[in-house]
Order: sequence, then structure tokens, then C-alpha cells
Amino acid sequence: MKLMPIKIAASLTIIMVIVFSPLFSQSEDRTISSSTLVEKANAWDGRTVSFMGEAIGETMRRGGMCWVHLNDDAYMWKNIEEGAKLGGYNSGQAIWVRAELAAKIRFFGDFLYEGDVVKVDGIFNAACREHGGDMDIHAVRLEIVRVGHPVAHRINRQRLMQGVFMLFLAGLLFWVRSIARRKRI
Amino acid sequence: MILKPKTNDLKVIGLYTGKIIIGVGLLMVIPLLLSLFRGEWNPAIEFFIGICACLIVGFIAETACQTTRDLTWAHGLVVAGFSWFLATALGAIPHWLSGHFGSYLDAMFDVMSGFTTTGLFLIQDLDHVSLGLNMWRHLLTYAGGQGIIVIALTFLIKGTPGAYKVYVGEGKDERLMPNVIYTARAIWLVSIVYLIVGTLTLWIINLVNGQSILRAFLHALWIFMGAWSTGGFAPQSYNTFYYHSLVFEIACAIIFIAGSLNFALHWAIWTGKKREIRRNIETISFTITMTVAMLITTAGLMKLNVYPNIMATFRKMFYQVASGHTTTGFSTIYSRTFVRQWGPIAMLGVIMAMAIGASACSTGGGFKGIRMGLIFKGFVQNIRRTLAPESAHMVEKWHHIRTRVLDETAVNMAMLIVLSYIAIYVTGALVGVFCGYEPVQALFDSVSAGSNTGLSCGVTSPAMPALLKIVYIMEMWAGRLEFMSLFALGGYVLSFFRGR
Repeated sequence: MKLMPIKIAASLTIIMVIVFSPLFSQSEDRTISSSTLVEKANAWDGRTVSFMGEAIGETMRRGGMCWVHLNDDAYMWKNIEEGAKLGGYNSGQAIWVRAELAAKIRFFGDFLYEGDVVKVDGIFNAACREHGGDMDIHAVRLEIVRVGHPVAHRINRQRLMQGVFMLFLAGLLFWVRSIARRKRI
Repeated sequence: MILKPKTNDLKVIGLYTGKIIIGVGLLMVIPLLLSLFRGEWNPAIEFFIGICACLIVGFIAETACQTTRDLTWAHGLVVAGFSWFLATALGAIPHWLSGHFGSYLDAMFDVMSGFTTTGLFLIQDLDHVSLGLNMWRHLLTYAGGQGIIVIALTFLIKGTPGAYKVYVGEGKDERLMPNVIYTARAIWLVSIVYLIVGTLTLWIINLVNGQSILRAFLHALWIFMGAWSTGGFAPQSYNTFYYHSLVFEIACAIIFIAGSLNFALHWAIWTGKKREIRRNIETISFTITMTVAMLITTAGLMKLNVYPNIMATFRKMFYQVASGHTTTGFSTIYSRTFVRQWGPIAMLGVIMAMAIGASACSTGGGFKGIRMGLIFKGFVQNIRRTLAPESAHMVEKWHHIRTRVLDETAVNMAMLIVLSYIAIYVTGALVGVFCGYEPVQALFDSVSAGSNTGLSCGVTSPAMPALLKIVYIMEMWAGRLEFMSLFALGGYVLSFFRGR
């Protein structure tokens, strides 16, 4: 009987955790999209945001800081070279971050690699005073959500055969053209 | 009476079109080599197929159209118009095979945009494309800037009196040298010297900005090609905003302003006539209209308080307006920023800059400075005539390489071409509005396509209706060739049915 209040309290705590935990985790994971930032730039100007996207290109170091570009488009998790469906243009944000934080990023997206998916927290600037009016996020925290990887490119043999056939045809036509020219002369 | 073309006419057109298509195919060897060098095997196969397709079409045309007849004016214009279309259709093969386009129409849109040095694009997931495809995109714009016919004249077509007629058909009419082949080579000489100097400069800047040696070099080469040809393609989806560098932006602006100048002006400066830059009607016209466009745009930005200080306002305003006026299309802001932050006044400033465009016989598009200057001088002359006594003889002069007396025919011709440009700008805008876009936005992208600029406020996208894509392709084509070639091509097609 003495244990009843403790059991009730424990049960209530568990129920509370189960009910409210998704809300807490959702608020932590809530990131804003680049299209929202571009479309409502003035509304988000100066506010702290969480932004997540695939690191593309490279880091461009400027002293102790650097520029990183994160794309949160349809190719963030899987790009066209890996078989993703077409999903429109790339879209993303420029991130201004300390070089030591950016050093965590191992893979940058390009033809050969699917880049790391990175989450940053920082202040969004619709027109940054420090960077000549650029739209950017000054990140204070950077976390790797998914490590990128090299993209496997298998040679398209069918297309190669088509190419060989077309080369043969082009060679044949070149020969015919040469004969036609000689006859004309 | 319209005369029906004879077999011999078709043979001349077919022969020269075939030579130009072979030239396009040979151009693909450069991205093919880069793909092989970097181990991008599938893109290499795609370029190989593209080369073979061009050679097959070119050889068939050359075999079937054996003739010794020279080109007439009509032939020259039709060859220019038709070969640009065929080059676009065949040049799109590597684009389409890459898998980054929603349709073949989209791939053709990008190739026409490249050849015409427009810079609008429909490629999807640009940030993951191969180095080979990126090289091809930029090579298209560099070759298109000098003129694909200029390439063919330089390397494939031996000197014929008719060659000048194809050259004019491509929207160029300056003779830097007595012979058109030497003129074509002079254009290439100027372009290649600038290519070396410009690429080296941008390479150094990119290295300082933190790029690796190879990426810094390739980006420098491609950005130079995009800037000098006033094309506006860039290797990353962020365009030149990717680099976040004032020095880089200044270097780009110098290159695209130089690219927008008349080749005859470049040649005059090269040959020691430095005073020409101050006296030339096009540089004077460019300075005045650029200043007006900058003032309008700045007023729009200041009204909405878009940027935190005057330096940021000037930096963003100058780059976008200069890019628009030279019809380059490089940008350091997002497309939608024009709509969401810049607002209609600033957008109208940029629209004005794009509509007027660069110099004649340059890599740029739009009305052209020379025509603005001639129309203005014609207007002034008319006012002076009205105010002067009836017995007075008024003579207005203008200077472009040499000083000439203003005559009515030149003013009327300039007016006719400007009206043709306005017609395509308005047509594109009306189709845009018909497709559901806001009028200012529809006008912005239509002027951008028709003037071969490449700035977009978000109308141009892979999701836009196919009708609008076709209209923009036509605008780019007509704008780049300055109408005459397309009128001639249309007339030729018509003559098959109506001619006697």
C-alpha cells in the first residue's frame, strides 16, 4: 500500500514522457527550409534558426572562419547520379562558420560524392552587414547528421555499344563523303 | 513574287550547315577529354555519342550537298538561322543523356541558352553534375559568344566571298580585317588572349578564397567563359554568389564589361587607338543608360531599405545592374530575392538595363548601345530641324571607329530592330501572364530571355509550362541572331509552299 503513490507517480511520469517526448524531440529537430528563408527573408532576419542540408562543393576558408554551402533540396539524401528522381533546382543556404567546426565535414557533394548531411544552428541574415549584403546563416553549432559517401558509377554498357555503332556509321559516311568529293573533282 | 528554292540552293545551305554541325561535334572533344582525364566514364560515353551524331549528320549533309556554288545573302542568313537550330538539337544530346533534364525540350533550352549566351537554365541538380558536362555548358556559351559560325569560318570553311554573308547572318557585321576569315581569326585572337589572362586572374583569386588547385582552376576557366561571353552560366547552382568575395566580383565585372564591348572597339584599342573608348557612340551610350538604370535600381532598394548600409546597397545593385546591362546574367542574390526583397522599382531598373543590353558585334544581346545612340541622335536632329530656320542644313555626326554623318536609313534600321526586340519582349511577357505569372515577373524573365541576359526572378524553372519554354527558346534564338536570319529562314520555308 505504501508503494502506491510512488507507482502512480512513476506511471504518470512514464505517460508524460511518452505523450510529450515526440513534441520535445520535434522542437529540437525542427529545421527551417531554404525556400522559406528566401521567400520570407525579412520575417526571419536576425532570428536564430536550425538549418539542415547536404554539404556541397567545398569549404572556402577565410582566416579562422569559412564558407560552407548546404543544400536542402530533393537531392539532399540521394542525388541524381545515385538514381534519385528529378526534383527541380538545387536550393540551399550559405553558412558562415568557424573553420574548426567545418572540419567535421568529410564529404562534399559533387559528381563523385554524396555529401554529408549537416545541421547547423545560427543567426539568419537576410542581408548580412558583415558580408556585403549576402543572405547567410552565421552558425554557432554544427552537427553531422549523416556521413556522405562516394557514388558508385557503373559503366552503361548498352550506351557504350550504341556509341561504337555510331562511330562505325560515322566512319562509313566519312569514307563515302571522301569518294563523293574525289568524283566531283 | 517569291521564288521557290531550287535544288542547288538547298545544296549550298546543306553543305555549309553540315560544316558548322561538324564543328559543333569537334567542340565536344574538349569535354570528352576532361571526362576521360577525370575518370567520368559515363559522361565520356555520352559525349562520344554526341560527337558521332554530329559527324553523321554533318557527313550526310556534305555528301548529299556537293556543290561549288558560293553563298548568296539569302543563303548566308538561312544557313545562320538553320545551323543554330540544328546545333542546338544535336548539342543537347550529352545534356539529355546525363539524366539531369526533365525532357529533351529542357535539354535544348539549356543548349540554346548556352549558344545564345543567355544563361537561363533548366538543368536539375546542377551541384552534382560531372566536370565534363559543366565544361560542355561553359564551352557552349564561350563558343556561342564568339559565334559558332565564326568558329566554323576560322577552322573549317576556307575563304569564299560568300563567307561574309553567313558571318553577318550570325548578328555580326564588323570587318576588322579586309577578309572575313581574318576577321574571324582576329575575334578568336582577342578572345583567347583575354581567356588566358582572365582565367589566370580568377584562378589566383579562387586559390586565395580557399578553393583547391584543380577546382580553383576549373571554376576560374568556366567563370571566365561565362563572363567574357556574357553568358552567365556558373558551375554551382548559387551562381557567383557561391564565392562570397568582393575581389572576385570586381574581376568578374571587369571581364563581363569587357566582353560586352564591340569587337571592333577591342581591335581599335589593340591597334593603339585608345581614344576610341572615349569617343565611341556605344561606350557613351552604355555609360549614360547604365547610370540611369543604376539610379532607378538604387531608388527602389533605398525605398524598401533592403540592405543595411550604402556599401552593401551599391555592391549588390552595381553587380546585378552591370550583369543585366551587359546581358551576362551573373548574380550574387537568389532569383526570388528580386521579387521578395528588391521589389518592382528595382526590378524595373534591371529590366531596363537588360532590354538595352550590350554593344553590337560583341558577345552580348539586347537593343545594343549603337542603336540607342543612333535613335537618340536622330531624335535630337529632328528637334534641331524643327527649331532651325527652313534654309538651314543640319548635319548630325556620330562616331564608331570612324566619324560618320547621321543618315535617316541608319536611324530607321536601328528603330526597326529595337521595335522587333520590344515585340519579342512583350510577346514573351504576355505568354507568361497567360501561363499565370505576375506581369512584372513575366516581363522580367521575358526580357532576360529576349536580350540573352539570363537573370531570372523565378519564372524560369523546370516546372514552367512547355509553351513558355518554347517561347523563351524562340526569344533567345531571335534575339541572338537579331531577327534577320530567322526572317530569312521563315521566308525560305514559306517559299516552298508559296513560291513559283
